[in-house]
Amino acid sequence: MIKAEPRTILSFIHTHFDVIRDLFNYQSTDGIITREVYDMICNRHGHTMNARLREYRVIRPIGSDYEMRDVYFRLMEFLLFEFKPLLPETIEKYKGSIGDLFLKIRKYEQQDRDILQERIKGLSHQIREFVDLVERNAFRLLAETRDLKSNIERVDYKEKVHKASFWIDYYILPLNKILDVNHSESVANTLMEISEYANRRRLDFGDETTRSEFEKLYVQLIQTNTDLLRQSKILTNELLPLLERIRTESLILTGWIEFLRNPYKMETPPLMKGSRTMTYAKDMLYKVREFFEQFSAPEVVMYEDSVEDFDKWIFDREVFMNKLAKQMPVNDFFGWCFNTLKKDFDEIETEKFFAVTGLLFDEALQIDFPKKDERVEIKTTTSHLSVPKLKVEPAIKI
Amino acid sequence: MVYPKHHRQIVEELMNGKFILSNEEHFNELKENEAFFQEFFKVSFDLDLNIKAEYAYLLSKETSENFSRDVSIFIAILSYELDKDGRNFLEAIEFNEFTTEEIDRYFDNSSFIDLIESNKAIKDPDGRRTLINGMARRNIVYKNFEDRFVFTQAYKVFVDFAKELALKRMSPESAN
Repeated sequence: MIKAEPRTILSFIHTHFDVIRDLFNYQSTDGIITREVYDMICNRHGHTMNARLREYRVIRPIGSDYEMRDVYFRLMEFLLFEFKPLLPETIEKYKGSIGDLFLKIRKYEQQDRDILQERIKGLSHQIREFVDLVERNAFRLLAETRDLKSNIERVDYKEKVHKASFWIDYYILPLNKILDVNHSESVANTLMEISEYANRRRLDFGDETTRSEFEKLYVQLIQTNTDLLRQSKILTNELLPLLERIRTESLILTGWIEFLRNPYKMETPPLMKGSRTMTYAKDMLYKVREFFEQFSAPEVVMYEDSVEDFDKWIFDREVFMNKLAKQMPVNDFFGWCFNTLKKDFDEIETEKFFAVTGLLFDEALQIDFPKKDERVEIKTTTSHLSVPKLKVEPAIKI
Repeated sequence: MVYPKHHRQIVEELMNGKFILSNEEHFNELKENEAFFQEFFKVSFDLDLNIKAEYAYLLSKETSENFSRDVSIFIAILSYELDKDGRNFLEAIEFNEFTTEEIDRYFDNSSFIDLIESNKAIKDPDGRRTLINGMARRNIVYKNFEDRFVFTQAYKVFVDFAKELALKRMSPESAN
């Protein structure tokens, strides 16, 4: 029996949380707290520590060593969220306890009312423990898998394959079986059965207090089934594919590393050797010969020299623009074009005339249109043009 | 005798070492006439035809084929470097587009530098581009642009090869 007040114990845990966490860590790692470790921890915190730990029943001696009592261990697990994944076999035991209680409730439901209510409460408690364990396990497995994926511990690929296979084979697949509602032997299936039974009895059971207990059980089971379904989904949709991928990827990388150790001494996938038609292919000679042979027959070709010189005049925009700039303002732009060309050529072709009139589009010029319909006649070698009399002057710069 | 449709194309491509992929029209013809083509290649050339759900290719009898070795080394190093880079390499090879620049970065910074430098096909950017072009000709990669490519499903031949190698090495007989 503990003489101390509950508040005193909680206050002790609060003050010496580091001590209890150290003890928890040692026990989590080694499964036991050795005498040396225990003495070291106690000595560090003064001579009363040993007495207090014993008085508040935090630890108990196991031979010459110690272990943390289950209630404290679980409290620390819960507070630190550091659960060890449990083997599904450990969780599966609930199938027995839940199944037995359910069987007794059904079988003796018309006997003693008090024991029936106690059994319903007991069943509810077992279900709560079961769901709690499943949730903790799924959480821990997810954390372990993510650690494996990020590979913080730098385990090599072979080890990763091994670990992934280990989690899949011994934890995830069996746990999934426990949670598979469609599997007649699964715990989830038994819970579904209990839920149906509780649903009926909460409505039709003779005694009101027992009806109320069934009601509570039924409500609890609705939530439980939802929770289990969620856990099952995490296992099948997230954990299993992730682990499978880690396993496959690590397996492939193991193979590649093995291959890269000595790539020239291993047989690689036997692919056909491709052949390409190169320009210097074997039949190139014949193809080229054939090509040239088509031109080998001489052909009579007639040609005559042209005596006519072709006009090499190319319009030099800059020269004409300079000429225009010197004479601006020009009252008759088209007349100016014709006269300027006339200085160089006796006869003016239409193309030449039009080339020079292209100056009109220069942005440096401002064009004034005649107020009246004044037109100018221009005669080129081939055309007779009637054009308006345009005045051009330098554009005003803004 | 009536030959299946696309017979000539199928034979030419396979004989040139090309993979025929499931998204190509003539793949269906090949798949539907699987038994015929198996026999055709066996009787005519003594070659085995490998038809999977996603690709088909001819198995060579020549074991000293360098191209297959170069591609294996290329994919092996790329997978290793992608994983080292924290990427899901399988996902990357299956779905990602690679640029030649990215490939150069991985190879130039690889710890397999000795192996890379001793192999003509992967030792420099030009060699790697030639290898990628060779893979494109055989449908192992598909070039979206001159400097961008994706792997086709044919990459699985090489990944399966690595997987088998690992399983062989990890088997208890090998340990003994």
